[in-house]
Amino acid sequence: MAIMMPASDQAVLARRAEIIAALRAIVPGEGVIDTPAEMRAYESDGLTAYRQPPMVVVLPDTTEQVSLILKYCAAQGIKVVPRGSGTSLSGGALPLEDGVLLGLGKFKRIREIDFDNRVVVTEPGVTNLAISQAVAHAGFYYAPDPSSQIACSIGGNVAENSGGVHCLKYGMTTNNVLGCEIVLMSGEILRIGGKSAENAGYDLMGVITGSEGLLGVITEITVRILQKPETARALMVGFAQVEAAGECVARIIGAGIIPGGMEMMDKPAIHAAEAFVHAGYPLDVEALLIIELDGPKIEVDELITRVEAIANACGSTTCQISTSEAERNLFWAGRKAAFPAVGRISPDYLCMDGTIPRGALPKALARIRELSEKYQLGCANVFHAGDGNLHPLILYDANKPGEIERAEAFGADILRACVEFGGVLTGEHGVGIEKRDLMPDMFSEIDLNQQQRLKCAFDAQGLLNPGKVFPTLHRCAELGRMHVHAGKLAFPDIPRF
Amino acid sequence: MCMPASWRSRIFRGSRSATNELLSLVNFDTGTVVDTLKVRDAKDVEEVVRAAIANEQPLEIIGHGGKRGIGHAMATNAVLDVSALNAVTSYEPNELIVTLQAGAPLADVLALIDAKNQQFAFEPVNTAPLLGTPVSGTIGGMIAAGLAGPRRIRAGGARDHLLGAHAVSGFGDSFKTGGRVVKNVTGYDLCKLLAGSWGTLSVMTEVTLKVMPKPEAERTLLLRGLDDAVANKAMTAALGSPFDVSGAAHLPKSAFRARTDGLGDIVGQGEALTLLRLEGITASAAHRAGSLRELLAPFGTATLIEDAASAALWAAIRDVLPFAAGGALGAWPVWRIVCPPASGAALGTQLARETGGDLIYDWGGGLIWAALPPKPDAHAPVVRARANAVGGHATLIRAAEEVRRDVDVFHPQAPGIAALSERVRASFDPKTILNRGRLTRSAG
Repeated sequence: MAIMMPASDQAVLARRAEIIAALRAIVPGEGVIDTPAEMRAYESDGLTAYRQPPMVVVLPDTTEQVSLILKYCAAQGIKVVPRGSGTSLSGGALPLEDGVLLGLGKFKRIREIDFDNRVVVTEPGVTNLAISQAVAHAGFYYAPDPSSQIACSIGGNVAENSGGVHCLKYGMTTNNVLGCEIVLMSGEILRIGGKSAENAGYDLMGVITGSEGLLGVITEITVRILQKPETARALMVGFAQVEAAGECVARIIGAGIIPGGMEMMDKPAIHAAEAFVHAGYPLDVEALLIIELDGPKIEVDELITRVEAIANACGSTTCQISTSEAERNLFWAGRKAAFPAVGRISPDYLCMDGTIPRGALPKALARIRELSEKYQLGCANVFHAGDGNLHPLILYDANKPGEIERAEAFGADILRACVEFGGVLTGEHGVGIEKRDLMPDMFSEIDLNQQQRLKCAFDAQGLLNPGKVFPTLHRCAELGRMHVHAGKLAFPDIPRF
Repeated sequence: MCMPASWRSRIFRGSRSATNELLSLVNFDTGTVVDTLKVRDAKDVEEVVRAAIANEQPLEIIGHGGKRGIGHAMATNAVLDVSALNAVTSYEPNELIVTLQAGAPLADVLALIDAKNQQFAFEPVNTAPLLGTPVSGTIGGMIAAGLAGPRRIRAGGARDHLLGAHAVSGFGDSFKTGGRVVKNVTGYDLCKLLAGSWGTLSVMTEVTLKVMPKPEAERTLLLRGLDDAVANKAMTAALGSPFDVSGAAHLPKSAFRARTDGLGDIVGQGEALTLLRLEGITASAAHRAGSLRELLAPFGTATLIEDAASAALWAAIRDVLPFAAGGALGAWPVWRIVCPPASGAALGTQLARETGGDLIYDWGGGLIWAALPPKPDAHAPVVRARANAVGGHATLIRAAEEVRRDVDVFHPQAPGIAALSERVRASFDPKTILNRGRLTRSAG
């Protein structure tokens, strides 16, 4: 896999033993891992095509330790890569050869549950699902539900601004977090926000969310919790044409209905899923929609009727409506298992993650079919159709020479098409290293420079997770330089910096 | 601050700016004549900001100028007026998005999306009645202020609905951030910073906002006569229920000393009012209203207000009409205090007792509008102390200019956060060209 990472600092590597000793002084015992065998578990995240053992792994368990580690690394000019559960699909936690891998896995405690203010204060290593489980006895849950919620950490969710099936109605991570404790690369510990609906001053929480571990290391998070909807029912609707399914999605939204979830699968995905979980999916349709309505029973029943009518009007060929929780779960079983199901029909697959305007869905699918022909690789498509988030799964065999390169080129072309159709490179998986080099397809140099200047405000040395998100690294002094516009600066001869 | 004599001519010498409308207007706040540069497009904005950088001349950024009274007096009398950037770039109801130039009038945009039965779910506050200005402002002003109404508790604020923006930074460069789709994690989410930045980071020129379907029906349950603490408990119970409450407000009895326009007949005997809103399809809203009424039985028997009457009521709370500039408390300073919702009543009652002020609680107690008797410091020390004690913060939304000269309008932050915020600000505008001095007294 050819992806250029920042050049390793040989001077740092030469001092490895000394650095390990210094980290051991901060985190005693088993909190520092330095043997190749033990570090293997950390050499990649969910984007397993890329692997790189770190220089050393450190697993602190207090905010003070995190602060001391970062302070030490900042003083010594050592790069740091933060890591939660390591489920990133974009390589956000890929280690650096000359970098410290800072794992937050020991931050596993839920610090406070406050039902009156409807928040949970948690450490970042707690899994997404564990938060919902901790408040379930009172009927509450944490709404964002990425598919990896059993394993992914809430800290990672904040870093990636994770979504999930239900974010159409309930928002992404950014819409559900209120505050955090964050340690800057300098070691400075800051508290942002808290239990109030909004923070004073600039919305720092908002920009930290989704910053992919480049701005700071989060050691505590305050999330909003909601009451679970009284009930949920799902429809499973088949269409002979993808266009008709796309039209159905548009009309449901157009009718003012925001389903809890609205997912689409194309024929290859349907077949793979059905062969895997036997959910009773119709095999003779080109597209399948799973539409879930949640809320009070009276509302769900009414909306099911309305959605069914819209589906009929759009020419649906099959329509099943869940009448029990078991049936609803069965509808979802195939969709939720789509990735492993595709894993069974192909030795390897690449999972893409672009977003397009809903209306561009048929166009995007047609383009993906063309590209599939061009690259001679199969592709199964699953979508969060309600918000236009595509997950094409490109099928390839890593053992066949040239296939991985073709698959990556295919994927890049899909993401470029997303941008061309008015969409974006990533809807929920993050840029990481995977889409890093495509950033110039969506953003100009000026756009990217503004983003990198913001990075400088948090991490002036550029030591925190370098090589991710941005295709080119700039020194902060260079980014901060004021442009001289056609000699318009007064007194241009006076040195300004 | 005096304008350099060369200012006007420099603008005119620009390659595109010969056709700029350069207007001299009277600043009605100060009675002084200022130079207002009315720009036509993003290129004009770039040009004006670049010229301003070259001259080290700060700019005040305005749309309709309706919120100029919020914040500190700006260290400039050169005004960049974006109100002519008022086009609707595109409106796609089925995509649930609208793309607008920043100067588009809020009232027109609301009418446009209302015609498709859609709305901004965060219920932007119309500050005109509170501030006594004639206009409800522009889309850019709505985002820059980021003031959300009662549905904030369920639908989020302006920051949650701003999907993308084109803006000119204090480097004089146009940049874009975000996109035109709801689900997007490509690059840093600079939209979050622009929302609520009061024009101190960049001049927004075009924005894409999420719109949402208007609910088919709304029902409001009204409880009478609760004291603040009990009302806070009732609102907490309602918001902790599965009935999807989209508004939870409490108007203590004293709030009705003032003007009660928009509250209509329900004010009745001048008792305290506690209001809980349910929205959605008709059958559901009605059903949930019934269930919630049962849940709230320990707090009294709630009466039901439907649809148009309910909407008028929530608009009055959203726009803080009891404290309107034209009303009995029009001369009182008004604070906007945001705090953990369950702490609202304790904070509010103590504040009212200490100052003799009037309050309105929204967001289930998480937002307190406080009109306090006039005082040179607008009671800032006590307001800030009470807010800090519960981890909240307070903004002096309305006060005379001489008060704002001596009192921090925006909540002072912890030193580390203040320093980081300043670095963030400088990363957009290193020369402090944009709205210099608006957020902090010291920066002026």
